[in-house]
Amino acid sequence: MSDEEKSLEGWAPEIPDAAALADVVDHAFDYRGDVTLVLADGGQVDGYLFNRNRDVAEPYVQVFGRDGGDPMTIPYARIRSVRFTGRDTAAGNSYAAWLRLRQAAKAGTSR
Amino acid sequence: MSVPLSQMWTVATYVLGQKLRGRKRYPLVLMLEPLFRCNLACAGCGKIQYPPHILKKHLTVEQCLAAVEECGAPMVSIPGGEPLMYPDIGRLVHELTARRKYVYLCTNAILLKSKLAEGLFEPSKYLSFSVHMDGLREEHDEAVCREGVYEDAIEGIREALRRGFRVTTNTTLFDGADPHRMRQFFDTMMDLGVEGMMISPGYSYSKAPDQEHFLRRQRAHELFSTMLERPKRRWRFNQSPLFLQFLMGRRDFECTPWGNPTYNMFGWQRPCYLLQEGYAATFKELLETTQWDRYGRRSGNEKCRDCMVHCGHEPTAVDTTFASWRGFRDTVVATVTGRL
Repeated sequence: MSDEEKSLEGWAPEIPDAAALADVVDHAFDYRGDVTLVLADGGQVDGYLFNRNRDVAEPYVQVFGRDGGDPMTIPYARIRSVRFTGRDTAAGNSYAAWLRLRQAAKAGTSR
Repeated sequence: MSVPLSQMWTVATYVLGQKLRGRKRYPLVLMLEPLFRCNLACAGCGKIQYPPHILKKHLTVEQCLAAVEECGAPMVSIPGGEPLMYPDIGRLVHELTARRKYVYLCTNAILLKSKLAEGLFEPSKYLSFSVHMDGLREEHDEAVCREGVYEDAIEGIREALRRGFRVTTNTTLFDGADPHRMRQFFDTMMDLGVEGMMISPGYSYSKAPDQEHFLRRQRAHELFSTMLERPKRRWRFNQSPLFLQFLMGRRDFECTPWGNPTYNMFGWQRPCYLLQEGYAATFKELLETTQWDRYGRRSGNEKCRDCMVHCGHEPTAVDTTFASWRGFRDTVVATVTGRL
């Protein structure tokens, strides 16, 4: 896997301030797997973070819980940390990876 | 002429109506994604890269219809995922055609023959099956990462045509496409009897698997110029000739990202079908709160720099047709003469 393709799966970053949280939330939004949001009250939400909006007075994320149900809206202010706990469904599935496999297969059959 | 006159009239009166109302941003085609699950895993497609619980979800027909009413576009494209895997696809299509929306059901056609046999659909001038075909057998099966899909698609097309349905094809071209093989592909599709073909360069968007091998603008111009040079009169493209000229580098268009808005289980996708930068709860919120000046080639956004995809630029071509007498004249001349 190239540097550009490295996955965030298993990442559990420290979040010292609001700017760091916003940055991590952006990564969680781009991540193609479930995440675990650890809340300020000690609770946890496991699911797919499909939306975030920080261009509003009270920035929020939206999550589809892993166990189903309607989407949840959670303010940034309630989030203490984000862990990238779910499998990265995009890992190793890039077009570049596919081309490498195809070229390797062709090289193998031409011998 | 590849598009029925009634559809051309509907689009023409709709666009003129928008202009008379002074509406700067209006939708032309709603990209309605009822689900993301698919029976293929094509190279270059990031649409299926979600956890299993997301892939199991789908919109209700009521949610789909509410989005269609809210948006107001005269045409609805149903991509995915694979729409024929949507449990209520028959009812959804029936409701949309009853509302006189021109529907393009985008499918890889693997399930088409069986779904037609189930009687889910009725032939209608409002319904087209837009079959994903990325080239002749070798190219297509390689693009979809499975052998035999080309033949399945051909069977599906033949069956749909036999039953009286409108059928078009949609083709995405990636780096390395052979323009001469594509000309043979156009002949093959016309021999099959499809109503029209739609072609577009592929694009690298951040949630798609590929970052390196999609077409860059210049190479795209060269590819499409070679492919469409001296087009055969028998080739029918289900696209604006001005858009084809744009692909060949003979016109310069800026993107119209709101022209083909996307709605799925996450909401109204900002800013366009390809880039996933957030979601709005309503269509009005999408139009009014998306920072549109951040997108398009002129914005300097590197994600937009090399993009020439149909969903952002075909609406520009259609708008150009009705924005001036010159645009209208150019469209008519290209359509009548077949010269690009």
